[in-house]
Amino acid sequence: MNLKLSLPKGVDEQSVVFSLPFDIDRSAKRTDGHLTATKEKLSVYYNGELCEQFLLEDIMEIEVEQLIGCSMLCVKDALGKQKFVCAFSQKHFMRFAELAKIIEHYLKTGIFTETTDADEPACPKCGISLNGSKKCVYCEGDKGVFVKLIKRLAPYKKQFFFSLFATFMLYAFDVINPIFQRILVDDLIVPNNADWALFFKVAACILVMNLSSVGFRLLQENSNYKISTAYGRDLRRDIFNKTQDLSMSNVAKRTAGELINRVSGDAATLQDFMTRQGKDMIFQTVALVALVIIMFVTNWKLALIVVIPLPFAAYLSIKSFNAISIRYSRVWRCQCRASELLHDVLHGVRVVKNYGGEEREIEAYRKASGKWADAVKRADILWYMVQPPIRYVFTIGEFCALFFGGSMILGGQMQLGELIQFTTYVYMLYGPIQWLTSLPRVLAQAKVSAGKVFEVLEEQNDIRDNESAKDIEIEGDIDFQNVFFGYKAYNPVLKDISFSIKKGEMIGIVGHSGVGKSTLINLIMRLYDPTAGVIKIDGMDIKDISQNSLRSQVGVVLQETFLFSGTVLENIRYAKPDASFEEIITAAKIANCHSFITRMPDGYNTIVGERGYSISGGERQRIAIARAILHDPKILILDEATASLDTETEKQIQDALDRLIAGRTTIAIAHRLSTLANADRLIVLDKGKVAEIGTHTELLKNKGVYYNLVMAQRQTAKLKK
Amino acid sequence: MIKNTESVFEVDTLKILTDKDIALHKAESGFLNAEAFGETYERVSLTRLVPFMNEEKYISVTYKTEDNEWKEIGVIEDIRKLSEEKQKIVREYLSFKYYIPVITKINKITDNRMGYLFLEAETTAGPKKIAVNDWWHNFRMIQNKMLSVTDADGNRYCVPEVEQLDKASVKKLQLFI
Ligand SMILES: Nc1ncnc2c1ncn2[C@@H]1O[C@H](COP(=O)(O)OP(=O)(O)O)[C@@H](O)[C@H]1O
Ligand SMILES: [Mg+2]
Repeated sequence: MNLKLSLPKGVDEQSVVFSLPFDIDRSAKRTDGHLTATKEKLSVYYNGELCEQFLLEDIMEIEVEQLIGCSMLCVKDALGKQKFVCAFSQKHFMRFAELAKIIEHYLKTGIFTETTDADEPACPKCGISLNGSKKCVYCEGDKGVFVKLIKRLAPYKKQFFFSLFATFMLYAFDVINPIFQRILVDDLIVPNNADWALFFKVAACILVMNLSSVGFRLLQENSNYKISTAYGRDLRRDIFNKTQDLSMSNVAKRTAGELINRVSGDAATLQDFMTRQGKDMIFQTVALVALVIIMFVTNWKLALIVVIPLPFAAYLSIKSFNAISIRYSRVWRCQCRASELLHDVLHGVRVVKNYGGEEREIEAYRKASGKWADAVKRADILWYMVQPPIRYVFTIGEFCALFFGGSMILGGQMQLGELIQFTTYVYMLYGPIQWLTSLPRVLAQAKVSAGKVFEVLEEQNDIRDNESAKDIEIEGDIDFQNVFFGYKAYNPVLKDISFSIKKGEMIGIVGHSGVGKSTLINLIMRLYDPTAGVIKIDGMDIKDISQNSLRSQVGVVLQETFLFSGTVLENIRYAKPDASFEEIITAAKIANCHSFITRMPDGYNTIVGERGYSISGGERQRIAIARAILHDPKILILDEATASLDTETEKQIQDALDRLIAGRTTIAIAHRLSTLANADRLIVLDKGKVAEIGTHTELLKNKGVYYNLVMAQRQTAKLKK
Repeated sequence: MIKNTESVFEVDTLKILTDKDIALHKAESGFLNAEAFGETYERVSLTRLVPFMNEEKYISVTYKTEDNEWKEIGVIEDIRKLSEEKQKIVREYLSFKYYIPVITKINKITDNRMGYLFLEAETTAGPKKIAVNDWWHNFRMIQNKMLSVTDADGNRYCVPEVEQLDKASVKKLQLFI
């Protein structure tokens, strides 16, 4: 990253180590400022004039703080007083953050690094943020969605070739037919010539052509059908696989409704486009060129008349394409919003019912759906307005050809059969032309869908395995070394977390809600990567362990358990598809759900309903625990897993778990501190940092954060009585 | 009833700050200091509670405690009810914290490049080329009236009332909202 971006006027390049421009002054006005840094001081320039200086020896801390639309650099002096240094728009954020990091490092260690190997935050050509990727979306835009679409045809080359071949043959017959017609008219009918031999020859040819055209048509249909289904199937499969492969943060960016739209809607649009239009594209273009050549050969004067308006019409088509494609992308968005809403409401139907929100939702959906319809209407109206004129321009040549052809016959320069042949070609030319005029709309729709699909397919996974990533057998040691993490960079949730857990330990994590307990376990699961620091399992950086091997050996039970709509059996078995029924029952018994399952009329085949809604919250949770037990993980994580159980049941499960967790590392998060009574050690989080680590008794003696938490809960317990 | 057992259970209540409750000064450090209810607070922060609904109403005044926790001193119900001088301080602070240039004219919008939207516009902070990624989420209408834009860097822009823009700009915008 370049941290000497531009210098204030009159400052010598050699005299400063870093120099960054900033663009906002203290009263939020635009300004032209610079901040320079040396080993001794920070200097602030406004419009090339030195206004303020901060000696590094007076500074205790330096940090960049993000406001709503801008950010500022602040320093803290020895008295703990914070001072404003300068403010800048977000474009400069990464650079100032990097600068702050370097200076902070210097203040702490006395080592002043003059270069940084952090990635450039913006495209050097156009200045647009790179967002962590290597390619600039603006400079290296994706002009090639169609190329990519066609590339996806590769696996069906054979079918595609057959289909194309059949189509060309059929077309060739259509082209040859007029020649026979001309022979019939000019050589036999008009001269009143009874040459039967010639007649039979011509008739036989026509017959053979018609018969073989049946065969070719069959081949064409058959290949088309195969390509169509396979293309759609593979596309859907790839999008779906990708949604499964992407990291949590990638997936969380989009709503479920939106993803569903892409997996099914867009894939269908593209399937349709590729099979119908993709092939046509090649065929019609070739046909167009071939026909034009034939026409020129037949009669170049007439051909010229027909062809002259074509470039003009093509130009109009291209122009309208842009306008239309924007409108179709709006249709896509409106459709997406509508399905997003639908998905949301159906998902939360219980809340809607509880609060009597039906009317509101009906109204909201009516609006979204109306907007969608309106968008379609607007796009279609534009289309139907521009299409006829374009078509008119395309076909204007026909009238001229007829007119001039007619007068040529009258003038004896041309024969009638020749004109018939020629006008047949002109008619045939309308096939490709019709297709050309409908092209803007079809292309626009496909382009929108293709854009959305490739956006997902080509998305970079935030979490990638290192090249050397290996599958390992996990023992269960976990190490956090100075781990920082924030869902948004520079808004840290966890700060400088360090601890180590030994194999087989039972660890409790406590802290106020929102302190980052769940976040901590998300990091162990590697749903997200830490911003800084290392997490090790068995002494190995988890980035060096393949994600698959890691997750298959870590089991989690969350507070908000998710059951798939299916039977109890299927849900438990999800953790281990090849588990025997005995294993499943054993797990169910440990999780204390065997007895209630037995009481249900359909036993293990009871259907739990969508998201498990037809059974109680506690039952759901116990099934989830059974699932985790069956999973038999080396590391078991319980995130408020027993929160919605009564104390009695919780105790039973706890006892069972105690037996089970012997020898495996367990990390439990619980609000009810009594749940963690068996923990070997407790890690207390406070304000994103590790506040205390120790056993229950040690921590009580400390009278720290944990002590206060315990006391607060005792109070509540008393109140309840 | 609950109150006298333990302070943990004290219910947080909304404190509305009137003009006489609070004094504000801009400190030399560049930050804001406040005095309220007999206490002095350094480096207070002002936050719009309903930034999209009303920029002038419901401004929360908070300060950082010694253990880095933000606590609320109270809420200013309406900036316009403060004294002239305080109004000026508050507005200046807010216009800094919420540095959101207003888009005044749109010259060009292009889209469809990997979900990006590129906007060439005139703003109150000068002409800008704005790149919006994931524009499905970052280029949104709020209450069918206001357009809120967050660009790829995290800068924010807005159009308080889309209908007030010139016709050509509205026309260009309409396809994207
Ligand atoms: N997916 C997310 N995106 C952004 N912020 C999040 C996300 N999940 C949690 N947070 C924030 O991170 C903080 C810690 O959350 P969490 O780890 O769930 O707390 P808890 O200790 O209650 O489990 C909270 O302030 C929460 O708002
Ligand atoms: Mg949690």
